[in-house]
Amino acid sequence: MDCSPVISDKERVRRLVSLPGVKPERVARLRDTTVAIVGVGGIGQAAAQHLVAQGVGRIILIDPDRVEAHNLSRQILLTPPMVGQFKVDAAAERLWELSPTVQIEQRRDQLDEANVDALLQEAAIVLDGVDLGQPREVLNRYAMRSGKPVFFAGATGYEAQVFGVHGGQPCLTCLFGSVADVEDDCAATGVLGPVVGMAGLVQAQEVLKWVLQVGQSLVGRLWQWDGFSGSTRIIAIPSRTDCPVCSPAHPQ
Amino acid sequence: MTLTVNGEPKVIAAVTTVGNLLDHFGVSHQTVAVMVDGVIIAREHVGNTLLREGASIEIIRFVGGG
Repeated sequence: MDCSPVISDKERVRRLVSLPGVKPERVARLRDTTVAIVGVGGIGQAAAQHLVAQGVGRIILIDPDRVEAHNLSRQILLTPPMVGQFKVDAAAERLWELSPTVQIEQRRDQLDEANVDALLQEAAIVLDGVDLGQPREVLNRYAMRSGKPVFFAGATGYEAQVFGVHGGQPCLTCLFGSVADVEDDCAATGVLGPVVGMAGLVQAQEVLKWVLQVGQSLVGRLWQWDGFSGSTRIIAIPSRTDCPVCSPAHPQ
Repeated sequence: MTLTVNGEPKVIAAVTTVGNLLDHFGVSHQTVAVMVDGVIIAREHVGNTLLREGASIEIIRFVGGG
């Protein structure tokens, strides 16, 4: 029997309303916001945990993978009995423990060009936590088509980065060109667990800033963390007139 | 040649192009974005873009894992 009191939405946002620049009517929107998380690994789980704790009302989790034992070193929602379960189901179970009233939709799908519009239709904001280049390019093109903000994130080794795209100019392709064939998997490079979490936390922070309309967004700016030296940089990214994805001169 | 690389001043000998600079640091041309004085250099032009004295270079590695 669960005797714990159910925390009210008001309690979740109590510390938000006294933040500089935060308006109560924006805080009220958190409960009505749907965030899609594509890739429910270390980054996606860290982001989801904080978004749910802070009172975001609806989360769409998208990931085709099952939990493997090595995931537990950095994917902080997972527990040993969850090995073998679908990640979206395991993560949802833990998120409902955090907030029994949060709405979670689990999609055991690999995002691709054919399903992206349907999967993300109800999302207001999209977070990238995938470990492959191909779906990132799908997301980048979706960001242009839909006009929705997409916050890309990656983490390997000691490094993490987050980059927001909203309508392009610049977009992910402006910055890196094609990433479809880039292999930068932590299976090969190793990864320090907390570095992965940091990328997810920065994504969650950007979602909250976006909904609350406060602060300077990471849209068009790259946040870079180097855990080896303990240094962080934010780099303003210019758009490219020859970008094949977002330049008006090169329509898709 | 004196350059500012990722915010830090560096004196690097025997580099003339952006491609040389990436090779100097042992960085793959395929996984980085390079900005010279605030302008992104397309991957196909990295090898033939000349560096100038005092240029400010950003070498940004694509970090992929999730």
